[in-house]
Amino acid sequence: MIRRAALWGAMLLVLAWSLGPFLWQGLTSLKPTGELSRLPPILPTAPTLDHYRGVFEGRPFARYLLNSAAVAGGTTLLALAVGSLAAFALARLPVPGRRLILGLFLSITMFPPIATVSPLYLGVRALGLRDTLFALIVVDTTFALPLAVWVLTGFFREIPEDLHRAARVDGCTPFQAFRRVHLPLAAPGLFATGILVFIAAWNELLFALTFTATDRSRTVPVALALFPGLHEVPWGEIAAASVIVTIPLVVLVLLFQRRIVSGLLSGAVK
Amino acid sequence: MRPVLAREERAGPAFVTPALALIAGVALVPMLGAFWLSLHREMPVFRISRFVGLDNFAFLLRDPRFLKSLGNTAYLTFLGVAIETALGLGLALLLHRSFPGRGLARAALLVPWAVPTVVSGRLWEWILNPSYGILNHVLGTDLNWLGHPSLAIHAVLLADVWKTTPFAALLLLAGLQVVPRDLLQAARVDGAGAARTFFHVTLPFLRPALLVVLLFRTLDSFRIFDVVYVLTGGGPANTTETLSVYAYKLTFSTLDFGYGSAVAAVTFLCVLGLSLVYVRLLVGRRA
Amino acid sequence: MNPTRRPTVRARAVLPAVLLLACGGEEARDAGVQGAGTVVFKHFKVPGGGEPLERLLRRFEAENPGVRVVNETLPASSDRQHQFYVTNLEAGSSDFDVFALDVIWVPEFRRAGWLAEVGDLLSEADWDDVLPGPRAAVTWQARRYAIPWYVDGGVLYWREDLLRKHGLAPPRTLEELARTTRTVLDREGDPGLAGFVWQGRQYEGLVCVALEFITARGGAILEGNRAALARPEAVAALAFLRRLVDEGLSPPMVTSADEEATRNLFAAGRAVFLRNWPYAWNTFQREGSPVRGKVGVSAIPPFAGGRSASTLGGWQIGVNRASRRLEPARRLARFFGRPDVQKTLALEAGFKPARRSVYRDPELAREQPFVVRLEALLEGAVPRPVTPFYPMISQTLQAAFSAIVAGLQEPEAALRSAAIQIDHVLELEEG
Repeated sequence: MIRRAALWGAMLLVLAWSLGPFLWQGLTSLKPTGELSRLPPILPTAPTLDHYRGVFEGRPFARYLLNSAAVAGGTTLLALAVGSLAAFALARLPVPGRRLILGLFLSITMFPPIATVSPLYLGVRALGLRDTLFALIVVDTTFALPLAVWVLTGFFREIPEDLHRAARVDGCTPFQAFRRVHLPLAAPGLFATGILVFIAAWNELLFALTFTATDRSRTVPVALALFPGLHEVPWGEIAAASVIVTIPLVVLVLLFQRRIVSGLLSGAVK
Repeated sequence: MRPVLAREERAGPAFVTPALALIAGVALVPMLGAFWLSLHREMPVFRISRFVGLDNFAFLLRDPRFLKSLGNTAYLTFLGVAIETALGLGLALLLHRSFPGRGLARAALLVPWAVPTVVSGRLWEWILNPSYGILNHVLGTDLNWLGHPSLAIHAVLLADVWKTTPFAALLLLAGLQVVPRDLLQAARVDGAGAARTFFHVTLPFLRPALLVVLLFRTLDSFRIFDVVYVLTGGGPANTTETLSVYAYKLTFSTLDFGYGSAVAAVTFLCVLGLSLVYVRLLVGRRA
Repeated sequence: MNPTRRPTVRARAVLPAVLLLACGGEEARDAGVQGAGTVVFKHFKVPGGGEPLERLLRRFEAENPGVRVVNETLPASSDRQHQFYVTNLEAGSSDFDVFALDVIWVPEFRRAGWLAEVGDLLSEADWDDVLPGPRAAVTWQARRYAIPWYVDGGVLYWREDLLRKHGLAPPRTLEELARTTRTVLDREGDPGLAGFVWQGRQYEGLVCVALEFITARGGAILEGNRAALARPEAVAALAFLRRLVDEGLSPPMVTSADEEATRNLFAAGRAVFLRNWPYAWNTFQREGSPVRGKVGVSAIPPFAGGRSASTLGGWQIGVNRASRRLEPARRLARFFGRPDVQKTLALEAGFKPARRSVYRDPELAREQPFVVRLEALLEGAVPRPVTPFYPMISQTLQAAFSAIVAGLQEPEAALRSAAIQIDHVLELEEG
């Protein structure tokens, strides 16, 4: 009996710890501006949707959301395509210098992004790709590849080698074997990886900030970072925007939490 | 079998090439570019551009601001990772049991990690506000969380740990799945208490996952930028300035591209060194 | 976020014409005809809904047939704008032709060769009409590199009602300000009431505040090409700031506070004195503001025997030297320097014009009396060191000042060390 209670208590603590700050941000977003600077009223006395209106007024927030979706989606597709191919090869095919390659992938995650921002920016400019989503997708994909390859390699290794041999004996080229046998079987892994990459790309800030110059290609994290004017920080609007941005992520996570966990599971244990 | 093998031998490298090409072009080349820059005194605004060899690195070793940022970074990293791992372990043990609502708890746990750092930065900035922040209100204090030299770095630590603990918890949860149930049963039958079971049965199996957590979290934490920049900008008086923040300011505020790249290069080398240590531990244990 | 947010124009409201960019004026670009083409104007968000600026640009287009202006807004943060301009201009970009510069960037950009000369766009009489502060900021060796657009200067706000209640007059010196604060705090006995709030966070705003106090003591940051920071005047000024915190005259939160944090506190009626920029005035007079009608404003008082000071802020219009449409770009720059244009922005968006004659306008006196009142203050506004190395110096200053107000270092030690670093940087120029 006590155990049950303790367990429930602990769970509530977890929920409070994880979601509490968001709840507070949500409450803030509903308070009229005058109330923001006063603390005794914790709950809004006259809840208003003004801040939510304000978020969309005077800035193309919907456009930002669209841009973010495009970048995250594009990155996910590209990373899965390139990453699954590489992961399959590293798991099942003879690749000279496999250890070195895996080490190289790992070392990419060690690069401080600051170091690469300036040279990349100049490169992007030189190619005339400044202020396009394409440049952002390519860069985000590259930095998502290590994680993608790492997790997917684990999944591909799980597929029995016999299946691969059987397919090859039947006359499939390695690519055909990949496409017809391995990919379908690794689907859960692809899904999990896709979600991880999507979230990472959606949240990416530094490169998005550097490569996008105008509203045309601005993404949501950039918009959030640039919200305040030179003065008059609109706390209410920032809170509202944060809520708007968080909710789809929360929904995504709620729906797919099992897959995300199993994705990390598989990669981690290998 | 030979034709089949030959195909495989060609396919292998071919399949890996696209990924390698991206890595080489987009990550490796710029990084090498940054290393090259670090060997120069490069201040485009003043049209200064000349090769100075290792001068930047020599200065770096004597630069008090660099040493301070290194110290801040090390403090945040080691303390942060320790807390995250401990908390993560606790959470993993909790979520390993089945109980109704476990799915919800897991999902809730993931949320802080899934949200953009900007959002979490603003969130905490608002919570830690000395005048209107809910934290001071709840605690009944009026502590200057982000403005007091000793408090600020801990405020940053709090925000960072909140955001990244889920990742550790998940990896450790995965690690817990590997612990053979029959061994746990045996221990219980033998009358071992929870603590003894944990240390003698669970922990040995958890080692690989623990080391993976330590490795990845240390690598990430050492390069911390977003949360610091949003919460304190490196202040007050550079007490929360980390290596990445310093490199950023050097590059974009002071416009000293050469020296900024040198700081970034040293950050990379530190991270590389740390990871080699961890890998040795990881591989060493396995062998 | 935005730790190095600089105090300048009021926030908010993106110009709807940003959408113009999406549709682009590609056909009109580079028409190749002298004086024609599409000019790209880059700037931060303008207060007042952006419509005043929009209308002005349409007026410009009407006066200059064949020229089209495309508006591009930049992130509001001064820091981010600086990052943007540096990265682009250094790469020789001609993506934009006219842009708004913070007053502290002009020497830096001039030295880097990014600004086209614009001295000939205004007559000598016109240049004389410009306030001395911004005029000096855009001039180098008798040449001009930007058109002063609008000006800003730090001011002191106080609660008239509280002072009157305790029979106190508005302070004429900073020492008096400290005494008055002490008296009000003691007599009010309200733990939720703060005394004197100012910006003490480690960012550019702190340099503005510190400069005002240093000047008020008769000191300076630079003298000639050497740091004057370690002199007794500056040390005393910074020590005074620290004492304000130590003695509880300023709440601890000032050490992490920026313009907004302090303004919010004062606007909620929880502070007696506030140092901030003129933009805050309108927010205090809004409907529902707890301090509406209770706020007094003046220049920052001097120390006894010193000089009243206000740090110069504001923005200038620069022409990109690499622009491929120099002729129409220069016309746009000249347009912004006209008194009637500056008056429109003053009337409709509360800009403080850079040209003196605008302040004499009766209509402006009627509609925006506060703006007109500021003229005397802006006339004497003190600039931060006018040197291409200012951004570097600023980093050193910010760290030193922050260390002092946060109690980490003694003023003398911190300022001496900062002076050494600054001298080292300035020596580069001579090399």
